[in-house]
Amino acid sequence: MKVEYINPFIASVVEALETMLDCDARRGETRVVKAGEQHKDVTGLIGLSGAARGTVALSFPNRTALQVVSRLLGEPASEADDETVCDGVAELVNIVAGGAKSYFCRKGGTPIEVSLPTVIKGNNYTVSHPTGTVWLEVPFDCALGSFSLQVTFDNNGEQTRKQQ
Amino acid sequence: MKALVADDSAVMRRILIGALSRLGITETDEAENGEDAVVAFAGGGYGLVLLDWNMPKLNGFEALKKIRSEDAHVPIIMVTAEAEKDRVIEALKAGANNYVIKPFKPDVIGRKIEETLARVGSK
Repeated sequence: MKVEYINPFIASVVEALETMLDCDARRGETRVVKAGEQHKDVTGLIGLSGAARGTVALSFPNRTALQVVSRLLGEPASEADDETVCDGVAELVNIVAGGAKSYFCRKGGTPIEVSLPTVIKGNNYTVSHPTGTVWLEVPFDCALGSFSLQVTFDNNGEQTRKQQ
Repeated sequence: MKALVADDSAVMRRILIGALSRLGITETDEAENGEDAVVAFAGGGYGLVLLDWNMPKLNGFEALKKIRSEDAHVPIIMVTAEAEKDRVIEALKAGANNYVIKPFKPDVIGRKIEETLARVGSK
């Protein structure tokens, strides 16, 4: 998977936070996630299918997830319960995937489809990577806390690249 | 006026209901999938429908077609992360009166609702 395939997702994260949360997200260096690394406390995942198959994830420490969802709702953080936080993270990853999907489509690729989001709560797990897949991670920092974006494509994203 | 808000995200439903409330539309029903939205709509009395696209059981586009076949006049706004031009055209052809792409600024959704009701009318 080439690093540039993650760019539409990065742009989509920045746009989503700026538009819905009035928050500037500053990105860090892209890196390859090693198999077996622990994830953060709340992770929203969405599957990508069609011309490119893969997964996009947004991963937050509990405190950041709470701040983000509270800002989304325009309510104090103390009022957001676990279920609401998970639901908000799911919606955010849905918006990020939708924005990136639209970018790939504008660039002339065959449309990719996004699945319904899933949220994993808790950090006592690791992720094994099937042979040949690479997860790229981009850390972000914003006024609400730090979080990260992770993206992987099967087949190195070759189909998507050829259609751009 | 009573509005129906269909989105599988409870957070997004709260955001949309908040926007409706600021416009003085305080009577709202919620649906968490397209199938429930169609069933709720059949119950009658809605003057506005907000529909997400990606929902379980029945997606928002299919729900749009079913609702439109029941009622040719009710204002329907798609509120979705599906941002491709083809999707927008498809929805408008199927009878959506407006299309709001997520992410949206808090004031934008209110303006789009007002604009749609002014153009299409409300009951």
